[in-house]
Amino acid sequence: MIRRVVITGCSAITPIGYGKEDIVESLRMGQSGVKPLRDDGLLTERIHSRVFGTVDYPIDYGFPRKDTKTMGPVAYYACQVARDVLRQSGLDRDFITSGRLGVSFSSTHGSPTVQRNIYKKFFSEDKSQFSSIGAVDYLKSMVHTTAVNITRMFGITGRVVASSTACTTSSQSIGFAYEMVKFGMQDAMLAGGSDEYDTTTVAVFDNLLACSVDYNDTPHCTPRPFDVDRDGLVVGEGGAAVLLEEYEHAKARGAVILGEVIGFACNNNGGDLILPNLDGITATLRLALADADISSEAVDFVSAHATATKMGDVIESQAIDAVYGNGRNKPWVTGLKSYMGHTMGTCGAIELILSLYMMEQGFLAPTLNLDTVDERCAMLRHVREVQDNEIRTAAIQNFAFGGVNTCLLVRDGRE
Amino acid sequence: MTRDELQERIVAILVDEFEFEDPGLDDNLRDDHGFDSIDAIELLAKIEEMLGFQISRKEKEQAMSIRTISDILDFIETIQAAHKN
Repeated sequence: MIRRVVITGCSAITPIGYGKEDIVESLRMGQSGVKPLRDDGLLTERIHSRVFGTVDYPIDYGFPRKDTKTMGPVAYYACQVARDVLRQSGLDRDFITSGRLGVSFSSTHGSPTVQRNIYKKFFSEDKSQFSSIGAVDYLKSMVHTTAVNITRMFGITGRVVASSTACTTSSQSIGFAYEMVKFGMQDAMLAGGSDEYDTTTVAVFDNLLACSVDYNDTPHCTPRPFDVDRDGLVVGEGGAAVLLEEYEHAKARGAVILGEVIGFACNNNGGDLILPNLDGITATLRLALADADISSEAVDFVSAHATATKMGDVIESQAIDAVYGNGRNKPWVTGLKSYMGHTMGTCGAIELILSLYMMEQGFLAPTLNLDTVDERCAMLRHVREVQDNEIRTAAIQNFAFGGVNTCLLVRDGRE
Repeated sequence: MTRDELQERIVAILVDEFEFEDPGLDDNLRDDHGFDSIDAIELLAKIEEMLGFQISRKEKEQAMSIRTISDILDFIETIQAAHKN
């Protein structure tokens, strides 16, 4: 059984806004969501990189305590965007609770805020605090906390997938959800990812010399994907979800179709857990085209992973060139992390949704801070300014620590 | 602490921190207020904090049969008496 898989809901909480209107405005205006790193009283003083892709606007969650008692900050983002996509999709309560809808959602490592509080209690001089570590702390911090808080809040009884693969977390979540629906295991899947404000993640990349440090006084000038003066990634936060649904089901109930997932690929480099790998990435991009059964010339736009690390952008450029370079019309390429930094487990879902917004609105946003293209990345067709452009098919590329690579292919939903 | 004072403090905790609306002493905690096993564990931690001593594993297990606010008050009075002895 092979079925078409369409998108009938999407929502994102990002450092450049929450919801389509805010996000599109930021993309059109070149507004960055990168801000100074907030003091967390723990690591901030020791981190060289002092910038963060920050969600610094209030969100009116309004969740009752019966739901929030098992939620850390990461699950607030997750449940908010999940509620948005369920509403937007128009799916009724009977369907949502029927078992025909599953959830594929995760984060990089649950809730680090809650985990940090647990360890504070573990290492506290006051040993009486030890007993206050309970089941609730685990439920708030466990790696699948986002997925199961979503199922609990909305009574979803289908499959649960909680793929936690660092920067490919949400692209895998969407890819696996697409396969669930495509092959008939579920009729719909709520898929995505979220990650909360966390300085431990910044410290990890900082120690690896992968974080941006040269723009601490001008946060909006970093990250700088493909730019000759890029100096590393910027960690960010956010949440994003899509509702994937079997095409005939969506059509029969008159749902608004926002896009169609037409292909997905995921592989591993089979070696180094950190360094980007040209063969592995190139193979992923080709596998996605094969899965969608389209030629490279059918792709109009590439949302590059483009974290703005020294080597990552070069290897990705080489891979894009290897796959798309010989076509008559090279696809346009944008590094969307230039607007908000690297939202970790959320990035694939956010970049897919931003691509959908641009498809719907008929424009392409440029890579921010791309003042002088690194000559090693110059073979690509970079988007350098906002342009009207009717793109129909986009590739969303993401790569993760652990050597995991993904590529999602999505097509405009309008028929 | 008198029974009335204890009742006042427990009801305040249930209203302020567990979002109970109009709690009655003999309401069924689960059916009337959605109070579940996670809430029970959380409430026990708050009771420990209030009483200033640790509740034993056996006492906590006994607390799992609590169904009403009156039961909570009885439970607290029982463990208070046990800890005094």
